[in-house]
Amino acid sequence: MMELYELGVREIVEGIREKRFSALEVFDECLGRALACEGKVSALITATADTGRAHARQIDGYVAKGEPLGPLAGVPVILKDNICTHGIRTTAGSRILGRWAPPYSATVWDLLSSAGAVLLGKSNMDEFAMGNTCGTSAFGPTANPWDVSRVPGGSSGGSAASVAAGYVPFALGSDTGGSIRQPASYCGIFGLKPTYGLVSRYGLIAYGSSLDQIGPFTRSVEDMELIMHVLARHDPKDSTSVDKSEIDFTRRESKGEKPLKGKRVALVKEFQDFTLDPPIADAIKRLIRIFEEMGAEIAQVSLPTVARYAVACYYAIAASEAHTNLARFDGVRYGYTVTTAAGLRDMFEEVRSKGFGAEVKSRIIAGTCLTEPVRSEEYYVAATRVRTLIAEEFRKAFENVDCILQPVTPSLPGKIGESDEDAMKGYESDLYTLPVNMAGLPGFSFCTGYSDSGLPVGLQLVGPRWSDKNLLNMGFELEKVLGAPKIARGGN
Amino acid sequence: MPDKTTLTFTPVIGIEIHIHLKTKSKVFCSCSADYTNDEPNSHICPVCMGLPGSMPVLNKAVVQQGMLAGMALNCTVQPTTYFFRKCYFYPDLPKNYQITQSDLPIAANGWLEIDDDAGNPKKIRINRLHLEEDAGKLHHSAADGRLEGAETSWVDYNRSGLPLAEIVSEPDVSSAREAVEYVTALRRRVRYAGASDADLEKGMMRFDANVSVKCSDGRWGRRVEVKNMNSFRALERAIEYEIKRQSKVLAEGGEVLQETRHWNDAKGTTTASRVKEFYRKFIVEPDLPPLVVSPQWVEEVRGMLPEMPNEKALRYKEMGLSEVDAGVLADSIDVAQYFEACVAAGANPLRAGNWVRTEVLRAVNDKQVGVTDLAVKPDTLAELIRRIDEGKLSTTLAKNVFEGLLEGLSLDEAVKKSGAAEGGVDANALENLVRATIEANPDVIGEIRSGKDTKGKKVKFLQGLVMRETKGQARPDEVAAAIESAIENLK
Repeated sequence: MMELYELGVREIVEGIREKRFSALEVFDECLGRALACEGKVSALITATADTGRAHARQIDGYVAKGEPLGPLAGVPVILKDNICTHGIRTTAGSRILGRWAPPYSATVWDLLSSAGAVLLGKSNMDEFAMGNTCGTSAFGPTANPWDVSRVPGGSSGGSAASVAAGYVPFALGSDTGGSIRQPASYCGIFGLKPTYGLVSRYGLIAYGSSLDQIGPFTRSVEDMELIMHVLARHDPKDSTSVDKSEIDFTRRESKGEKPLKGKRVALVKEFQDFTLDPPIADAIKRLIRIFEEMGAEIAQVSLPTVARYAVACYYAIAASEAHTNLARFDGVRYGYTVTTAAGLRDMFEEVRSKGFGAEVKSRIIAGTCLTEPVRSEEYYVAATRVRTLIAEEFRKAFENVDCILQPVTPSLPGKIGESDEDAMKGYESDLYTLPVNMAGLPGFSFCTGYSDSGLPVGLQLVGPRWSDKNLLNMGFELEKVLGAPKIARGGN
Repeated sequence: MPDKTTLTFTPVIGIEIHIHLKTKSKVFCSCSADYTNDEPNSHICPVCMGLPGSMPVLNKAVVQQGMLAGMALNCTVQPTTYFFRKCYFYPDLPKNYQITQSDLPIAANGWLEIDDDAGNPKKIRINRLHLEEDAGKLHHSAADGRLEGAETSWVDYNRSGLPLAEIVSEPDVSSAREAVEYVTALRRRVRYAGASDADLEKGMMRFDANVSVKCSDGRWGRRVEVKNMNSFRALERAIEYEIKRQSKVLAEGGEVLQETRHWNDAKGTTTASRVKEFYRKFIVEPDLPPLVVSPQWVEEVRGMLPEMPNEKALRYKEMGLSEVDAGVLADSIDVAQYFEACVAAGANPLRAGNWVRTEVLRAVNDKQVGVTDLAVKPDTLAELIRRIDEGKLSTTLAKNVFEGLLEGLSLDEAVKKSGAAEGGVDANALENLVRATIEANPDVIGEIRSGKDTKGKKVKFLQGLVMRETKGQARPDEVAAAIESAIENLK
C-alpha cells in the first residue's frame, strides 16, 4: 500500500472524489512528509499548515455536500517564493522582502486555488531567482533530497526538492535561464519551462521580464498535463500572455507500437564539442536508441550563434532588466526599511546595501553598467539584436525537426558550497538552458534514470514555440520506457 | 570685455508640456483617474504602486486620447511605437522607473500657428507627443515645501499612473509672449479635441521651458531648463527673467551653464536646482509589447476630431461675424457648439453671435457654470431671437425674458413674467392705441402737422408712448407706420 504522499495529482483527485480518503488526510500526510524531511532538506521558506488545512477542510465540505469540485480539488501544492500569494509572506528568497505579505495573488495561484489546489508552503530559491544552486537565498541553502550534501539546483531548488522528496505531487517554479529545468534534472523529476507567454507572469516577482516564465514540477507527465491544462490560460493582466486556448493538454491520441514514428529529433552539432559527465553522455546515447526504437528519426541541427553568443547576451539582457525590476526595492513603500537614515539618499543606500545579498548586488551593478547611456548601444542594445538572431536560428532549425534533445547541465549536482566558488565554470553549464529563454521556447526536463552514485540523470527536449504539448506527448512515451521518477529519501 | 552697448541677444526657446489625458482610468491599471478631493492613497492598486510582480496593461482609451491630442496638433500618428523604462530613483516614482514612450512616440512632426511679436503668422514645430505615466505627489514638512531639509515627507500615489502626454516643441519660440501664445493655442486645441481638460489649477497641464540665448557676437549660452511654472503668467515671467539673466551673463563676458533652474514665483527669480539632476537611462519595457495602431483605428479617431478653433473662427467670420466675436465664440468648443446649435435652430448668426458673446457668457461667468449647464438651451435662445426679429419683443424686454429663462422658466412663462403681452399686438388694437395716443397729445400733433418736426423727433416720441402702452410687444416700425398713417388721415 502506497502512502498518500506518494500519490500523483490524478490519483489524489480521484481518491478524494471517490471518498477513499479526504483532502485533509492527504494534506496532513504531505505535511508530515515535509516535516520529516525539512530538517535535512530545507526546501521551504514558509509552511502554510493552518491556511492549507482550512482549505482542505473546505474541499472535504464540498465533497460531503456533493458540490462540484475543481480539477485539482484537494491536491497539495508548493509555490516558489517569488509567486505572490495574497496575505501569505512572499520573500523571493531575499531579506529585502523578508516580511512582505502581498495584498494580491499571482494569476497562477488564483487559477490553481480556484481549481481546488491547496497550498502547503512557499519554497526556497536563489535570491530573486539569481543563481543555480539555491545557495544565494537569504534563508540558507536547500539540500538535494537524493544526497543532502549536494545542491538541488536552482533557482527553483526548493520546489524541485519538495516534489522529489514527496512533500507534494506538484510545485511551481520560474525559469529565467534554466531555473525549472536544471533543478528538475538535479532532483530527478519532470520540469517544464513553457513557451514564453503561455502561462501568466502576473504576480511573479520579476528577474528578467522578457525571459521569465512560470512552470510546473511533477513526478509524472500525465500530472504535468493536468497542471498545464489549468495554467495555460490567457491573462488580460499580463500583456505578454498569449491566448492559446486551442491547445488541449488533457487530450492525447492513442499511439501504436512506434508512437514517435515520423518525428524528427535533433542533436545540436556545436554542443558535441563540449564535454559531459559520463552518466549524462551515456544517457544521451541511450535516449537516441530509445527514440529510434519508438520510430523517431535522429537528425542534426547547427546553432552557431546560439553556441557562441547566447550566454553572454543572456547575461547582458537579464542583468539589464533585473536592475530595473529591482529598483523598486527602496524601503519607501514595503519590505525591509530603515528608520535611522540621515536622508533620502542614505535611506536608499542603507536599505539596498543591507537588504540585497552579494549575487543580487553584483547583477544590479552589471545591469547598471551595461545600460549606461555611453555603453548601452555596445552591450544592452547589441545583446537584444543578437537575441533576434538566436530566435531566428532556432526558428530555421525547427523547420526541419520536431524537437532538440540536449543535456540540461554538463554535470550532476555538485556539493553544497562548492559551485559558489567558480563563477566562470557556470558558462558551459548555462549553455544548454539559457538559449531556450532567449528564444522564448518551451523546454522539458525529464529524468532518464540514476547514476551509479544514486543521483538522478536528466535530459531536456526543446521545441519550437507553442510545441509544449508535443514535448509532453513525447515525454509521456519516454516515461513509459524510462519509468516514472522515484521519490527521494529526503535525508531519511 | 565685449562692448555691452552694441550687443543684442536672440532668445531660442523650446517648450515641453505635460497634459493629463482625459480618461476614466489610469494608464496601466483600472484605478479611477478622478481622485479630486479624495483621501490620499485611496486610488491605488498593485500596478500603480509598482508592487513586486505587478504588470502594466495599456489602457486603450489613453492611446485614443493621445492620438486625438496629436491630431489636434497636426502631428502624424506613428503606426508602431514602443514603451521604455526611464530609470531614476525618486520616492514619488513607485517602480523607480517611469514607463514612457520617450522618443519613439505615438505622434510626431506636428505644428501650431501663432502670431509672432510683429503680428505675423508663425509656425511652432512640434517634435513629438509621447505617452507616459505620471508619478505620485510628495508633500514635505519643510517651510519651502521642498524635499531637502524637510523633517518628514509624505507620498500620495493617487496621481501615480495617471496618463500623461508630453508634447515637445522644437526651439522655435522666440519670446515669452510667443511662449504664452503657443501654450494657450495648444491648450485650446487639446481641450477642443476632448483629449484633456488641461486645467492648470488642478495640475492637469504643466510646462518646462528650455531657454538659451544667442549673442550678436556669435557666442551662445548653454541650454537652461526652467521648471516649476504653474500658470501662463509664471511661464511668461520665468522666461522673461531667464532671457534677461542669460543676456546679462553673456554681456558681462560670462558663460551660461547648462543646468536646471527652479522658478520661484514669489521672488520672481530662477535659482539653480540644489539637487543634481538624477542620471536617467532607458531600457525597453519588457512587460509591454510594441504598440501597434491600425490605419482603421487612426481613421476612426480622426473622425472623432472636431473642427478646430482656427477653422471655426474663420467660418464664423465668413458668416459675417466680427473677428473679435468669432475669436471669442471659437475659444471654447462648448461655447462654439452652443452658438452653432443656436444658428442651426434658425437664429440669425449675427444676432446669435452677439447674444452668446454678451448675455450667455455673462451668465456663465456670473453663475460659474459651464455653458452646457445653463438653463437656457440653444434652441430656446434661437426662439427668443426669432421673436425679436419678428418684432414681438424689443431687445430690452428680451433681456428680461432671458433672465427668466436663466431661472429655469419656459419661454412663455418668462415672456409673461417680463410683463410683455403674449403674441404681440394685433393691427386693430394697435390702431386704437395710436388713435388714443394722438387724441391725448394734440400739441404734438399740431407741431408735426405744421411741419416743425423736421428730424422726426416728435413722431419718435409718440412711437415711444405707444410702445410703452404695448409693453414693448408692438413692432417699432409698425408703430411708426401706424402713427404716420393716422396723422395722414387727420389731414
